[in-house]
Amino acid sequence: MGREVAESCVDTMLMEMVAMYSGRFYANKPELAARRIEAIGYQVGHQLSERYTMERPRFSDHLEAIKFICKDFWSEVFKKQIDNLKTNHRGTFVLQDNKFRWLSRVSIDPSSTSGETEDPSTPGESKAAQAVSMYLYFPCGIIRGVLSNLGIPCAVSADISSLPTCSFVIRVKA
Amino acid sequence: MIVCVAVVGHQNNPLYIQSFTDADDALKLHHIVHCSLDVIEERVNNPKKSGTTLNEAFLGLLYPTLNYKVYGYLTNTKVKFILVTTDLDVRDTDVRTFFRKFHAAYVDAVSNPFHVPGKRITSRNFAQTVSNIVGSYGLN
Repeated sequence: MGREVAESCVDTMLMEMVAMYSGRFYANKPELAARRIEAIGYQVGHQLSERYTMERPRFSDHLEAIKFICKDFWSEVFKKQIDNLKTNHRGTFVLQDNKFRWLSRVSIDPSSTSGETEDPSTPGESKAAQAVSMYLYFPCGIIRGVLSNLGIPCAVSADISSLPTCSFVIRVKA
Repeated sequence: MIVCVAVVGHQNNPLYIQSFTDADDALKLHHIVHCSLDVIEERVNNPKKSGTTLNEAFLGLLYPTLNYKVYGYLTNTKVKFILVTTDLDVRDTDVRTFFRKFHAAYVDAVSNPFHVPGKRITSRNFAQTVSNIVGSYGLN
């Protein structure tokens, strides 16, 4: 019933989107590029949430909506569930994915980090981390779009610890 | 017979309203739809009193007026669907099927990248689908 798209198309589109916004449109304003990519994700999330919540009863609280993202939404979009969910019960949720699909093909250029492994705060390392983080604004926007369409205004950010692992931090606005 | 259907956004803003009568009573039907928003709000805030199961999208019969019956449906994203019918004997399953189809049509319409969220649905395709759904209501 649902129409499908090859996974490689989505991967390529994400790569091109990041390259276009951060390399061409806003080459010297990475923050603006990030915000534009996040906004695209927001619209996608907004529309996807409408479709994926169609068959289910309304959520009674925030946790239920977050659980929906971790289980059903993540399986629909990434064919796996979130591996770990943490919360402080005061509006902050951390969703950890041990093998985030959109980062599974990303590798850091070894020449930029070789010989600098003793000091993790070298410019090469942080530049690589920044390049990877550009790819995470889109999924962050998707999560924010879904939650705000479900009536939960929030801010979403992403952390990368070691490469395919990535965690999304959701802060619900009171 | 269905005389009017409406889609109302999460801030009670009208997204789509269409009446299916020959008579010039669109204003009256709009008024009925408008009144039903209060009933929906009441149902949602006092879930115990409603006969339906907790948090189900289908809200059931909102209120009967002299000539019409008004049914409601509230999605997870706080979008309301309202159905006004003149039938006196309505089967619940028919209404449920209708809302499910209507919801699917709405989801397809808002998934259009050119649709601006929160604005009226102007898609001709959506209007056509809705009138098809209305036409097939209660046939089986």
